[in-house]
Amino acid sequence: MLKTRIIPCLDIIKNKVVKGVNFKNIKVMGNAVEMAKKYSSTGADELCMLDINASYQNRKTFIKTVEAIAKVVNIPLTVGGGISEINDITDLLNAGADKVSINSAAVKNPKLIRQASLKHGSQCIVVAIDAKRYEKQMKVVIKGGREITNKELVSWAKRVHQLGAGEILLTSMDTDGVQKGFDSAMLKKVTSNVNLPIIASGGVGSLEHFYLGYLTKSTGLLAASVFHSGRYTINTVKKFLDKKGVPVRL
Amino acid sequence: MKKKVIGLIDGQSGNIGSITKAIKDIISGRDYQLRIINGKFNPLNFNKIVLPGQGAYATLISNLKKFKIYDSLEQYLKNDSSYLGICVGMQILSDRGYEDKITKGLGIIKGDVKKFNNKKLIIPHMGWNSVQIKKEDLIVRKNFDRNDFYFVHSYTFQNTNKSDILATTYYGKNFPSIVKNGNIYGVQFHPEKSHKHGLNLIKNYILKS
Repeated sequence: MLKTRIIPCLDIIKNKVVKGVNFKNIKVMGNAVEMAKKYSSTGADELCMLDINASYQNRKTFIKTVEAIAKVVNIPLTVGGGISEINDITDLLNAGADKVSINSAAVKNPKLIRQASLKHGSQCIVVAIDAKRYEKQMKVVIKGGREITNKELVSWAKRVHQLGAGEILLTSMDTDGVQKGFDSAMLKKVTSNVNLPIIASGGVGSLEHFYLGYLTKSTGLLAASVFHSGRYTINTVKKFLDKKGVPVRL
Repeated sequence: MKKKVIGLIDGQSGNIGSITKAIKDIISGRDYQLRIINGKFNPLNFNKIVLPGQGAYATLISNLKKFKIYDSLEQYLKNDSSYLGICVGMQILSDRGYEDKITKGLGIIKGDVKKFNNKKLIIPHMGWNSVQIKKEDLIVRKNFDRNDFYFVHSYTFQNTNKSDILATTYYGKNFPSIVKNGNIYGVQFHPEKSHKHGLNLIKNYILKS
């Protein structure tokens, strides 16, 4: 039986894992390579790492960090942040990423999804969608939630599926960082309309939240703070889910 | 003693970093060497060949032909030499693939590779899933039974001979997840991404088969 994936997410500047809301109050949580290694060896099903400050001078260090992490983990590695063209994707895959996550660039240039999936295969193209409620609709947002686009969430999700995305990483800007649980209503809206693996992201704060995330039919559950702060180990989460009857890899 | 040579085919469709690293770790300090194959090669120069395929069936076959690897590989497999195909590297052992268009495969393992046809399933089949061992073997040990491996694929082997199936996996139906004919193996999952059980499988393949 297919297992629900538990995915720690590392927000990275150069080679450090950081925590911060919208680039404010950034706090260093630890060394990226060490944290990735720890998560891989303690039961993470995948790792996600995002370059949250993808300026030109930081990029080289970030790519080196991707290379260093790829060398110490033997689970799938998804890398995102700062992708604007096909060469960025090729560079990250060459650095050892198994999948790349495209966000704003996909909104600005949807053809990039098709181009990337044709070149590298759908299996490695994750489209990250940030969304929030606006004027009674769920809208796609970019720039970390600061810019609302005219795209409606479900139709955009269907479109990225058609364009060749292999997976969607869905973050609700309404629940992100609040630790009051995933946005179940938003997730269900997408999982019931799009036949792609969906990774739930944004808002997890308790063990029960992981279970509620599973009930949305998301096949991956992503979390950052609860793992980085040491509140839960991956094993604690999985044992909790296992007791609830959720298929997990123990 | 002459070193045994492991060839790793670079089909130019995805990164071969993980599998390269896994093999290097296993052979470090032993009488093996790893050589990357990216063109025509002499089949007699290799003891084992690994093909970590990603992307589409038709693309992999056309890349292998474009880089002149295909004919050498066909020659190599004709002698029942040792081979491990991963994901699409497994699928191209079939008679035909139905991804994008119908493509003739290597015809080593009887069957066709077709898309999961259950509309209720989330496609691709992506994530960790368990294998049920049907037949024990030098590389596929009984203790792999019910362990999880990492899968990413939308197409599976169909109409395979039961005798060629070492393990199956359930996703809407049971499909062959490890196949074997003679010394030629194929695994649908990615052992290089499957943590310790996956690395054990690669280790068994290299050191025990």
